[in-house]
Formats: sequence, C-alpha cells, structure tokens
Amino acid sequence: MRASLALFAVSALFLGLSCKKTPEKTASQTEVTAAPSPPPASGDVRTISPLPNGEWTLPAGDAANTRFSPLARIDTSNVKGLSVKSSFSTGITKGHEGQPLVVKNTLYVVTPYPNVLIAVDLTKPGHPIKWKYDPHASARAVGVACCDVVNRGASYADGKVIYNTLDAQTVAVDAETGQEVWKTKTGEPDKGETTTMAALVAKNLVLVGNSGGELGVRGKLVALDVATGREVWRAYNTGSDEDCRIGPDFKPFYPKDQGKDLGVTTWGPEQWKVGGATIWGWVSYDPDLDVVYYGTGNPGPWNADLRPGDNKWTISIIARNRSDGMMRWATQLAPNDAWDYDEINENVLFDMKWGDRMRKLLVHPGRTGFMFVLDRETGEMLAADKFEPTNWASGYDLKTGKAKEVPEKRPHMGKVTKGICPSSTGAKEFAPTAFSPRTGLLYVPAHNTCMDVEFVDANYIAGTPYLGNSTKMYPGPGGYQGELIGWNVAEKKAAWSVKEEKLPLTGGVLATGGDVVFYGTMDGWFKALDARSGQELWKQKLASGIVGNPMTFLGPDDKQYVAIYAGVGGWMGAVAQPTISADDPYAALGVVGAMKEIKHLTAPGDVVYVFGL
Amino acid sequence: MCSASDRRRALLRWSAPFLLCALASACENGKHESMALAEAPVSDRPVGPIPGPQRDGGSIDNPYAGDPIALNQGRQYFLRYNCAGCHGDHAGGGMGPSLRDGDWIYGGSDSAVFASIAEGRAHGMPAWGTKLPADVVWKLAAYVKSLRTDQEPSPPDQTIPPPPKMP
Repeated sequence: MRASLALFAVSALFLGLSCKKTPEKTASQTEVTAAPSPPPASGDVRTISPLPNGEWTLPAGDAANTRFSPLARIDTSNVKGLSVKSSFSTGITKGHEGQPLVVKNTLYVVTPYPNVLIAVDLTKPGHPIKWKYDPHASARAVGVACCDVVNRGASYADGKVIYNTLDAQTVAVDAETGQEVWKTKTGEPDKGETTTMAALVAKNLVLVGNSGGELGVRGKLVALDVATGREVWRAYNTGSDEDCRIGPDFKPFYPKDQGKDLGVTTWGPEQWKVGGATIWGWVSYDPDLDVVYYGTGNPGPWNADLRPGDNKWTISIIARNRSDGMMRWATQLAPNDAWDYDEINENVLFDMKWGDRMRKLLVHPGRTGFMFVLDRETGEMLAADKFEPTNWASGYDLKTGKAKEVPEKRPHMGKVTKGICPSSTGAKEFAPTAFSPRTGLLYVPAHNTCMDVEFVDANYIAGTPYLGNSTKMYPGPGGYQGELIGWNVAEKKAAWSVKEEKLPLTGGVLATGGDVVFYGTMDGWFKALDARSGQELWKQKLASGIVGNPMTFLGPDDKQYVAIYAGVGGWMGAVAQPTISADDPYAALGVVGAMKEIKHLTAPGDVVYVFGL
Repeated sequence: MCSASDRRRALLRWSAPFLLCALASACENGKHESMALAEAPVSDRPVGPIPGPQRDGGSIDNPYAGDPIALNQGRQYFLRYNCAGCHGDHAGGGMGPSLRDGDWIYGGSDSAVFASIAEGRAHGMPAWGTKLPADVVWKLAAYVKSLRTDQEPSPPDQTIPPPPKMP
C-alpha cells in the first residue's frame, strides 16, 4: 500500500520548480533534469499525481494519464546511443497493446489473450523470466472480441498486480510469488461482453470497464476492492438514473445533459439495454477531488437511424465519485452518434493557467477530431479545436457544449454517404497521448483516415455483432495516414508535427524529463523525438509493428531504461493477420480499405524490448 | 427425368436430418474404431488429420450452387444474420476469418461449409443450425462458395476514393 499512497500523494510540481522537485534517485541526476530552455509563457502547469521513484505502477504511469516520467538520464543529447538491452518473444501473434509495469526491479508484462502475466527479473543479465501466471481465460471470449484479443495493461497496488482478462474477469496476482490472490467475474462473454481496458487502481478500489459496443453490450464501470476483489459499486452508462448512479451530486454543466432518466428517455423503447457506451480504454483519477473520469464508447447498433434520440450516455465524458460511484457531471460530445466515434480515449488531467487563473483541466483528444479542454470540476467545455481533417462537424459551441453538425456528413439507410472525416477509427484511436509539464505540449498519435458509410438493417442476436453498417475507409486529405502532433494546449494549436505517411499511429507515446518523446509506428519503427522541436533523434526497426505504449524506469543499476512491445494487431493492425483478406476494403469493420498495405510492411509476432544506454 | 427443383427438394429433405445423421455416424465411427482396435487394424479410411468432424455418407453438393437468386438471398442472409459483422462485409474477415482467401479451416466442400455454419466452430462461430432452416444454411453456404468467383453477388467495390477536400 505504501507505493500507492506515495503515488497519490499530491505534489506541487510547478513548472518552474520541476527541475528541483523531480523525484529522481540521486542528486547528480537532478542536475541533468535542468530545463534546457524556459517553458512557454502561457504554460504554467501543475501535475497532480507524479510518478513514484523510478517505477511505473499504473497503466499510464500516473493516475492522471499524463504518461510523463521525470526521469532524465536519457535526454536529447544521448538518446542516439540507445540499444537493446534485452528482448523476448511471448510466443503470441495477436496485437500487443498496453505497456509493462516496473515495481521493485521486476518488470511485469500482460500478454494479449490468453492474458498471461510474465514477471521479468531486472537484476540479472538478459532479464530472465521469474514466473508466469496463466488466468486460464475462456476461449469463448475470443469469438466475441470485436477488434483482436488485446489487453491494455495492469495496475500495481498493495503487493498485487491487477488486470483484466478477455473473458471479463479481473485477477489480482501476488507480485512476488505469481500466485493468484483473487479473481472476480464482471461480465458475460456469452452476451458479447469482454474486457480489454487497463484496470486502474485508485486508493482501495480497482476500476473496471467493459468492451463489446459492436455486440450490443451495455457499458458499465465496476469498482472492486483491491484487497478482496469484492464488488463495491457498479454504475451503468445507459438506463435509469438509479442504474447510472445519478443522484443529488449530479450537476451537469449544460442544459443538454440535464433531466431525469436520460439514459432511458433518449432511446427508443428498451434500446438502452443493448445500447453500448462501453469503457474499453483508460480511466483517470484525481486524488485531490477524489473523482474518476472516463469516456464512453459508441451506441449500438452503429446504424443511427434505428435508435432515434440522443442515446445517453454514449460518446460522453463522465466524472464520478471514486468512493461511491455517484455521477458528478457528464457531457455528451456527439448525440445520436452516427460515425462510431467512441470517446473512450484517455482524459489527461493537470492544472494549468487558463485565461487569468489556474484551472483544473481535463484534456480529451477526441476520436471526433476535436481536442477538448474541459474544466474537470464542472464539465465546462473551454476549448474544442480540430487537430486532424474533420468535416462531420464544423466546430463546437462552447456556450452550449453542442457540436455544430454538418447534416450532409450524417449517414443514413439506403444511400452511401461519402467522404466523412475522420473515419470510425477516429482522428486518434485509443492509443494514448503523453503530456509534458515541461513543454506544455500534448503528444498525440493521430490518424488521418476518412470513410464512406451506408447504414443497413441490424438484427440483435445475443453474442453476435449488432452494427447495421457498411463502411469503407481510406487515407484522408494530404494522403498521409499517421501523424505525431506536438499540441500546444494553451495556444490550442499544433506546435509541430511529424507525418507518418504509410500507416496510422495506433501505439501510444511517452514524454520524459529528458525532453525526449518516444513512440512507435505500425510498420515497426520505434522513434525518439526532441520534445520541444519534434526533431527525430533516434529510431530502431523492431520485429513487428508497434501498437503498444512506451514506458520508462530506473533499473537496479540506477540507469534509465525504456520498454516497448512490438506485436502488430488491434482493430486496424489486425489487417496484418493472414485471416483478413486485402480484397475486401469493407472487411474488419471497414478498415481494410485504409490498411491493406500493412501486409507488405510488417507481420504479427509479439516481442518485449528493453532499451538502455 | 428428375427436374432441378425436384432434386433440390429431395436434397433439402435429406439435409434437414443432416445433423442427426452426422451424430449417428459419429457414434458408429466410435463403435467401428473400438472394434478395429480389438480386431485387425485394417481400414482404407484415412485417419487424418482431416479438418472438422469426420463423417460417413460422402459429400453432398449444394442444391443452390450457382443459382443467382439463391446467391442473392444468401448474401442478404449473410448481412441479416450478422455474419458480415464478424467475417467482414464481403467476407474478407475481421472478428472471424476471411472466407474469400481460399483457405478452408474446416474443409471447403459444400457439405463441410454447410456443417461449419450449422454446427458452429471453435472460437466463436455460432451453431446456426439451431436457429435457421436448412435451406437458409445451404443458401449461405452457396454465397460463401461464390466469393471471388464471377457469380459473387454484390462484390466489394475496390476503388479507393480520392481524399475529400476540407471546407
């Protein structure tokens, strides 16, 4: 518990002081972290849950989802000297999303299904495996997982590594021995429900969402007790106020989100029962406010003509009390979503000077193509700016929180609506951003993909897809498909960007105190950029395409290391699998049209890499 | 001389108890093999590996093979029963494997494709024989076998449009 208490201890990491307050191990290292240039004038930033000392105990490193590590031994001057210090194959050929944890000189890897937990000894040469834990997840879940059999990572707390398995169970494993401590079932694979999201520990609770928005699953967040696995509360994202845990604490900022039982009344009869709004990405936690934040996925079916109404609380950002799950506020970003714009992307929490005062911000890089900046105390929308070519809406009205939708880009039954941008995979997928308080930049692994859509009939059959949609995706304006954007949050625009021409980016980003940004491409390049200029400093081709997220830690030798998974897969990356044909551009829910080149650029096969100087 | 529709009716009558036959023959197989073990190990039946459940009775041709109306109906069933959601809009794969790549995991004969649809397969393929009448399964099988041939109804439009212009 000590580690998690330390993790949630609030630190006043003002930018100007960060070089002195950075929680590094040694004095000599503190000198290395001195900022080489002053931060942007508008960028007064305070991080809210800094990383523990050289470790990585939560999916995003910190509970605020910044993916910023203050470690600075690898910096812009020496990063070109990185080389592989160890690597091993997991023997699995499915998409290896997520990231390892490092706790007390042990590195923990969760594989895609069958979701084996592998503990690696960092104290010995070659980093040998200490033990493996197999949860024996049911193969039944494989057939109902929409977009490969991925897992997005574990949390460490109270001596346990805690993660979700594809068959909708959550397991806690003794971090020393590899013995199972508890296992709790939270969903029903027979009804299409799986769990792929990164389990987040917040104080004594582990927060678990679900997947299956393509199979008519009803989205929910469940809180389990870290010590026992017992369910403490369960909050649905559709249905009655009681089911959604909406009560007197609920104070949505905008009238559009106010009213009784909106999770029922904004749907056709009974449709909320199979209405989606799943949580398959990331949960954030603010230890000061004791509030958790997450975004919800698409409504079901994809065919919007079949479910008239706003369809709350799909495509929404939701804030809940950690302790009892009661909803604090919510804002729906796209009513009656017609594009499968899941807003399950991460919510990055930090405090920053906004206008004339410090505000508690929540930054949400939307699949919708808009970079949302919200006040996380109230849900007020402070900014919504396009970061990739986007034409389904011209913008957002910040007074009402509503999108200014472009009617001719809304698909319907019986006709093909062409040239909608972004595609369903979003201007950015689940692959998480990183935010550096040193630069004020959010580093966004983005897509530039558009689509043609026709709605067709949909038929709910439990355990099968519930879509009603025919989609073909293809590269967007400019022809490039991926882009790493250094987004200046305060100035609401890109400071720089690096185009990735061939494929979208579906791997995450890491930012460090050495002002280095790490990310990987789906054709297998692992890259390091200068966090301030975007200049490429180093790159290495890995064994397979990258859909995982880099992380960094201090080894037992007090040196800094960077770890990354190679192993292409996921929704878009699965086109590299031999079981998907290149001659059906509509296949794999429409992504093949944009992705068929991947078959020549990489191949599946999961490998864990550790890099160092 | 037996007309095409007569033949089709006859085959449908045959295929309705298809699963029962398959089950019965599987039981007989078991008996036969245990006898073979007790007696002389002589058999001209290959022991495998043969994809999918082995059965006697030979193969049966799809009564709807090449029938354009049935292929269109099969295409509609492929959409309506959510086959497209798993196997891709034009069966190029996704959650489930591609059906247009020439690889048949559980055999590509008409009766093997029928059996895969009717009985289900490991890792997610439902047993549609419990929900759909045999003629629907045969039409689905006929559509699947028509993929990438000149007879495929509504083949996928391969054109990749130019990038849209932004306002």
